[in-house]
Amino acid sequence: MKNKLVLGVIGADCHAVGNKILYHAFTEAGFQVENIGVLSSQEDFINAAIETNADAIIVSSLYGHGEIDCRGLREKCDEAGLKGILLYAGGNLVVGKQEWSDVEKRFLDMGFNRAYPPGTSPQTTINDLKKDLGW
Amino acid sequence: MELKNKKWSDEQFYKVREEVLNQWPTGKEIDFQEAADYLKKVPEHKNFSLKLKKAKEEGITLAQPRAGVALVDAHIELLTYLQDEGGADLLPSTIDSYTRQNRYNECEVGIKESEKAGRSLLNGFPGVNHGVKGCRKVFEAVNLPLQARHGTPDARLLTEIIHASGWTSNEGGGISYNIPYAKSVSLEKTILDWQYCDRVAGIYEEMGIKINREPFGPLTGTLVPPCISNSVAIIEGLLAAEQGVKNITLGYGQCGNLIQDVAAIRALVEQAEEYFKAYGYNDIELTTVFHQWMGGFPADESKAFGVISWGSATAALAGATKVIVKTPHEAVGIPTKEANAMGIKATKQTLNLLRGQRLPMSKELEAEIALIKAETKCILDKVFEVGNGDLAVGTVKAFEQGILDIPFAPSKFNAGVILPARDNNGAVRILNAGNIPFTKDILDFHRSLLEERGRYEGRDVAFQMVVDDIFAVGKGVLVGRPENK
Repeated sequence: MKNKLVLGVIGADCHAVGNKILYHAFTEAGFQVENIGVLSSQEDFINAAIETNADAIIVSSLYGHGEIDCRGLREKCDEAGLKGILLYAGGNLVVGKQEWSDVEKRFLDMGFNRAYPPGTSPQTTINDLKKDLGW
Repeated sequence: MELKNKKWSDEQFYKVREEVLNQWPTGKEIDFQEAADYLKKVPEHKNFSLKLKKAKEEGITLAQPRAGVALVDAHIELLTYLQDEGGADLLPSTIDSYTRQNRYNECEVGIKESEKAGRSLLNGFPGVNHGVKGCRKVFEAVNLPLQARHGTPDARLLTEIIHASGWTSNEGGGISYNIPYAKSVSLEKTILDWQYCDRVAGIYEEMGIKINREPFGPLTGTLVPPCISNSVAIIEGLLAAEQGVKNITLGYGQCGNLIQDVAAIRALVEQAEEYFKAYGYNDIELTTVFHQWMGGFPADESKAFGVISWGSATAALAGATKVIVKTPHEAVGIPTKEANAMGIKATKQTLNLLRGQRLPMSKELEAEIALIKAETKCILDKVFEVGNGDLAVGTVKAFEQGILDIPFAPSKFNAGVILPARDNNGAVRILNAGNIPFTKDILDFHRSLLEERGRYEGRDVAFQMVVDDIFAVGKGVLVGRPENK
């Protein structure tokens, strides 16, 4: 059975291009992708994950508010019964050019399993997904 | 309210205005007459319309950055730096993304967190939350014209606040701040809301105050064929003119092929002027804005300067009135003030070197201008036709039917069937036109150019070309070739 992913762009962010490409790449790689698109709230991600019985939630953020928008997502997933679901975040996650290791640590501390800097190839995420999902 | 391309009556406007000013407490600070008195005292060198008009007469290209942070004092520090150190000709205030979605409560959180953290957690300036008081403080602290740049589908309150604060230009439009910036806001609503914004500018204009309006040219900034962005620009220009706007700047985002980019700007000016005249708007002051490359950037800062300079050169050779500047931090997000100033300096150096030079007419340039104008006319004729002559109604119907279709846009009211790709010279062509009403000749011409590229690259014309093109500039080339080419 195909692993299921929820894919979307969080918060008040409307960057659609990368989202369309990720959808294309993840689907090609053999995942079943529920793409909730841009301008999606934490609740939208969680509801989609529950409805599709997803294995992972992939959060994109390109506009810099990712830090505020992603806070508490892990806790909300736990409350919604999605304990242990894989949480990835990637994009331009913070405002300004900051040391990536600091940004990554901030996201891992928030409960994300992985965080990706700008310019990450979809293939990197696909390889990590396969590893984390035990392919 | 019924959507029509018709100047709003005072009764209509002031009825809606009451509701608009109540959307957030700072709306109550606005008093039209007091605001008009304030605007009348804006000195000439801080008026956007006048500065653009002068640049057009002198044949020079002005440089304008993007910039905005959460707190008033930090924003003033940023703008002052871009003015004094960067040498910007025009100043922006880029508005944050929560404001763009009218989420003013979340802006409050962002403002408080930014105060606590000592850095901006918002990606722009929350103009509505700071209100007329904060926005005037910014305006009074700088010495250049100020414009709000955003991406707000419903910008009515923001518009009221910024103009009342002495900011004499506003970017946006009912199409250009909806389809690329929203997921589920209807076009009827955004066209009405932007008629309101245009009407605010129009009312000030009638009081003798010059306000500039700038539809957002680049749309999704990703391989948008010139005829698509020019069609939208002309429509939004006509809609603004109907509401009494006189000073209009139409925009275009760099695609990357020099001939096509210069042709796009020339076609835009010629065709917009024809349409303004044909529809009876005889006193429009038309200027143009060229946006440096809006797609993915190289992360290497030196390479980024190459992209920035290429855009600046094209803007100068095209004769655009102003250019919107990118920065060497583009690949990683929002720049520091130092990086932002460096982008302006690289831009101005290029503009200065090319001052007075224009790309001379050639057979290729002439053909490209003719092609863009013919394509744009196909689209606009059909928009008027499906609207039974009404441009606003026609626009809504045209999007429903895919007559207007913007590549890679997030809105569910966009057909999203159109697929662009580059030809062998890097010009943006159309791989799948969807329902855009081109003639067979035009469709065949695009197809033949893409086939030519396909033969050169030894592969079929397909979606993979589009994906490769999207990533190409970030990787250092314009056309996304397979690795062996």
